[in-house]
Amino acid sequence: MASTTAKFAAIGAVTLLALTGCSSAAAGSTSGDQEGGFAPSGDARMIVPFSAGGGSDLSGRAIAAGLEEVTGVNISVENREGGSGAVGYSHFLAQEGKDNYLLAAETAMLALPLTQDVQFDYTSFTPIMKLGDDFTLLVVAPDSPYETCTDVVDAAEKERVVAAVSGATSLDEIVFTLVEDATGVSFDRVPFESGSEVLASLLGGKIDVASLNPGEVLGQLESGDLKALCSFSEERYEYDQLADIPTAKEQGVDVSFAQFRGFIAPGGITDEAREYWIDAAKEFEQSDAYAEYIESNVMQANAVYGDDFVTYLEGNNADLQKVLQ
Amino acid sequence: MIDNLLLGFQTALTPENLLWCFIGVLMGTIIGLMPGLGSTTGVAILIPLTLTLEPVTALIMLAGIYYGAQYGGTITSVLISTPGEAASVVTTLDGYQMARKGRAGAALAISAIGSFVAAIISLALLMALAPPLADLALNFGPVENLAIMILGLVIVVSFAGGSMARGLMMAAAGLLISTVGVATGFSDARFTFGNIDLLGGIPFVEVMIGIFAVGEVLYQIRIGAAEPIKARFRDMLITKDELKRSAGPIVRGSGIGFALGILPGAGSTLASFMSYGIEKKVSKNRRLFGKGAIEGVAAPESANNAAANANFVPTLALGIPGGGTTAVLLGAFTIYGLQPGPLLFETQPTLVWGLLVSFFIGNVLLLILNLPLAPVFAQMLRIPYGFLYPIILLTSFIGAYAVSNNMFSVVLVLIFGLLGYVMKELDMPVAPLVLGLVLGPLFEKALVQTSALGQGDFSIMLESPISVVILALALLMGVGPMLLGRLRVARRSRRSVTESEKVDV
Repeated sequence: MASTTAKFAAIGAVTLLALTGCSSAAAGSTSGDQEGGFAPSGDARMIVPFSAGGGSDLSGRAIAAGLEEVTGVNISVENREGGSGAVGYSHFLAQEGKDNYLLAAETAMLALPLTQDVQFDYTSFTPIMKLGDDFTLLVVAPDSPYETCTDVVDAAEKERVVAAVSGATSLDEIVFTLVEDATGVSFDRVPFESGSEVLASLLGGKIDVASLNPGEVLGQLESGDLKALCSFSEERYEYDQLADIPTAKEQGVDVSFAQFRGFIAPGGITDEAREYWIDAAKEFEQSDAYAEYIESNVMQANAVYGDDFVTYLEGNNADLQKVLQ
Repeated sequence: MIDNLLLGFQTALTPENLLWCFIGVLMGTIIGLMPGLGSTTGVAILIPLTLTLEPVTALIMLAGIYYGAQYGGTITSVLISTPGEAASVVTTLDGYQMARKGRAGAALAISAIGSFVAAIISLALLMALAPPLADLALNFGPVENLAIMILGLVIVVSFAGGSMARGLMMAAAGLLISTVGVATGFSDARFTFGNIDLLGGIPFVEVMIGIFAVGEVLYQIRIGAAEPIKARFRDMLITKDELKRSAGPIVRGSGIGFALGILPGAGSTLASFMSYGIEKKVSKNRRLFGKGAIEGVAAPESANNAAANANFVPTLALGIPGGGTTAVLLGAFTIYGLQPGPLLFETQPTLVWGLLVSFFIGNVLLLILNLPLAPVFAQMLRIPYGFLYPIILLTSFIGAYAVSNNMFSVVLVLIFGLLGYVMKELDMPVAPLVLGLVLGPLFEKALVQTSALGQGDFSIMLESPISVVILALALLMGVGPMLLGRLRVARRSRRSVTESEKVDV
């Protein structure tokens, strides 16, 4: 009996690194000392302002697991959904000064204050880390007459081009608006509620063009059911399947816009606490878990921290403001 | 095909996968028994538990949870009139009435049998025809969806028990409630009065728990609660006659469920309501509907299970989720490092066929588990109400809180509980309200999209042959019975006139 237990323990130690990380959390104060005298008070919480199973939930859980491993602090994930994210962010606003709270942030943090009557904006919080960027690709049906993004812009100048967007404040809506601003043409919009709905309508030939995340269309690009004309990113993707897709900038349409994923801490925490989480995040960036997350979601790994993240948010917010107001 | 099936059986029939499938079905059933916790939430909260398993095993277990949770929801719909998800709301209409008459065992048994038959039919279609069916489903865009919504509303508008006016009124109330929040394609909030909790709209799970569970308990307390239902074990078993009466509804329900299930977005709720509406029109026993007709349980239960399986057609063949739960499952694919999309069948044959065969096994397990257990579950009703009602209230509030971790949900349950109580006092049918609430946003979305596609001109609905056929069907169903009725009345009055003339002469 005892030997079986020992065997199980041995297997556990080898395979479940995350768990061993947790068990060493008991010695958390010592590891905290090494990181500048600060350790979060007790277990930490990662708030996800959307429901379990969605994109935010996936990133929140990946970040929590990664941070757990590098800090040894227990981080539980809590979904606080409602109000298209507003409930979760507002709940987070109320945690001001608590250095053991984190939140898996994305574009809603910027879009909500610009469109809804909420009490917070991005300056209410302490941005810690932007994990990476999720840009979009302009995709069309394989038999579409368009071969480049310039073709699409030229066509939109002369005739009606129907673009699907997945919401009034969504990434693709913003991208199309930025293209309109840059080129002076206009697209006719049909609103949907998610990337997969947009995908279905594009495959069914109901619309002309769509701007979707690579992760949403990789399967269709590989099978030849869709073709990508350009990517609205600063630089080309490095993934083999996407490396041949030129950027919109290369084609003369000067637009690039990404949805970011990252995490933030509440406002009003001490500088030590901020540094502690930033250090932990930097360590997380070096881990396999981080690389795996970026790869499985087909993102570009442009991690930035602290003040650089704030600068990024400022620029992003200005772009959004142009589109939404 | 045969090779693929063999491969599937090889994958699914390992002791390990069988065990996890069984655990999934069992856990799913238990989760489904909690008011408000349906398959979508069940799968989502249990995904982290599966992370240490092989991808195939994990997905097999999640599929087991999916099926189990649906059946668990049916059990509470029948026994205590509390549906686990919108798709089993219709089941409460006749299922609960059957339970009140001591036939809970039969209602649960026919749900299990109907669901099983529906699952087998749709799984066979799924295995044989998934890719072509998925391509067919892509022809249904916003315009066609709008036509389906119209057809659905026409079919169900008349099914609200006795009075059509009451049914319409409640459906309209549901539509009205569904307008709270931010609509598709806009960023302005409606009717939220600055309350951030309302930005995302009033979630139907809370409404359902309130109106059905809490409302019913309050009402029973007010009328002094009847005696616990003491049925003998023998009376709990389903009779041959009941089985015979259910055959037609099961087949028709499976057909409707499958057809609507393969369309991304149309969903199993509409399928269950439509199949009930159609049975009510074609059944010999249509007078018994709403008073405990077994057809009224068999049809929607088959329909929602067929739809649940058909949801996998676009999910597996295209990588586009067919419903809420399959969307969560697709998210899980990514966690396991699988790329959902049209190539899944080719690149991951072991996974796809293992999964398909395990769907089959999951449904067999569900039947084996639940057919003998149906009378046992039904014994729950023997619990004295003094104990049963506090338990229902407690689990309702816990369930509501668990869904979103938000006290606001609990407040909503209370408010809608009171509303449900008032509706019962006034004899207002509750099912149309839920339908209005569920269909409202879908209908509005299709309306906005169709308008955008046609640049404000709805005549594009007449340009799509599919939508023309569906609209014609809706017209036929909406106006047909009325015309028939007029004709019958006219004929009868003519006959009575001639008869009275004869007497005169």
